Amino acid sequence: MIDQSPYGTWVGREALDMAFSLAAFDQAVSILFTDTGVNWLRAFQQPNDIAQKSVAKNLSAAPIFGVEALYADAAACRRYGLTLDNMIEGVVMCESSSELLHQFAHAAFAG
Amino acid sequence: MPARNNEGFVVNANEWTPAAASIIAADDGIKLNEKHWEIIEFLRLFYKTHEVSPPSNRLFVKSVKEALGDTRGNSIYLMTLFPGTPAKTACRIAGLPRPTNCL
Amino acid sequence: MALIHTLHILNKTPGHARSLQCMDALRPGDALLFTESAVLALATQQHPEIDVPVFVLAPDALARGLGQCPDGVTQVDFPAMVDLTAQAQTVISW
Repeated sequence: MIDQSPYGTWVGREALDMAFSLAAFDQAVSILFTDTGVNWLRAFQQPNDIAQKSVAKNLSAAPIFGVEALYADAAACRRYGLTLDNMIEGVVMCESSSELLHQFAHAAFAG
Repeated sequence: MPARNNEGFVVNANEWTPAAASIIAADDGIKLNEKHWEIIEFLRLFYKTHEVSPPSNRLFVKSVKEALGDTRGNSIYLMTLFPGTPAKTACRIAGLPRPTNCL
Repeated sequence: MALIHTLHILNKTPGHARSLQCMDALRPGDALLFTESAVLALATQQHPEIDVPVFVLAPDALARGLGQCPDGVTQVDFPAMVDLTAQAQTVISW
């Protein structure tokens, strides 16, 4: 789970790295974005001028690496004006994050 | 020749050229053929799309498999083309940053 | 250009405690500048209660996919940010 905004810290990227590593060893892994973390999923991020790589483009490699799903907390998306139309492709909207968490054997927050 | 870091990786992926690839490969004793170029082109496109190198050997093999199928996307094939740590060797030649999880 | 009494430079996300503290501290004659994660405030429909000029650091907004600025918010680049701080009598970095 990533509940922190992109680019501010390295916490989220470390979580992404962990998810990719689990996928590399064929562990079933999904990522849930909640709170300000949903801002990872906004389309058309252009971080060239702050000398960083686009977290959205990094995330687009997740299905290739074997990450099963990218979930977004619907309430947080509404708060930040995010809809499936202005988010990156392949995001699954999740009305109840707490219910989703019960479907997983293990859940961990980034940071 | 683009600037390279202490491990031989090109510092700025945009400065990479096919000619540079041949020189970097020669350092590893590799003479590039069509099979190498197919993987190099795949990696260049991968990096342009995702702004990240495949982080490990396993994910390198997985990504190649996804894009080019089983005959290319297996570790023996990639190990033969890019000896050592295939993800590292291939990314170095293709001008990508060092895969984060390769020692 | 009119002088700014206090320039509030905020780099925290909208829900962050310090962000709320910053909003409370705004007074008429002040100005507010969003940088880093604070630019995400542009995506929420929340605005400061007090009517002060609002600025946003353009490279930070662009990075987060928020290059389209809402009405009433002025984008600044790095040199313009320096000008703002020079115009301000005091600066608070939250």
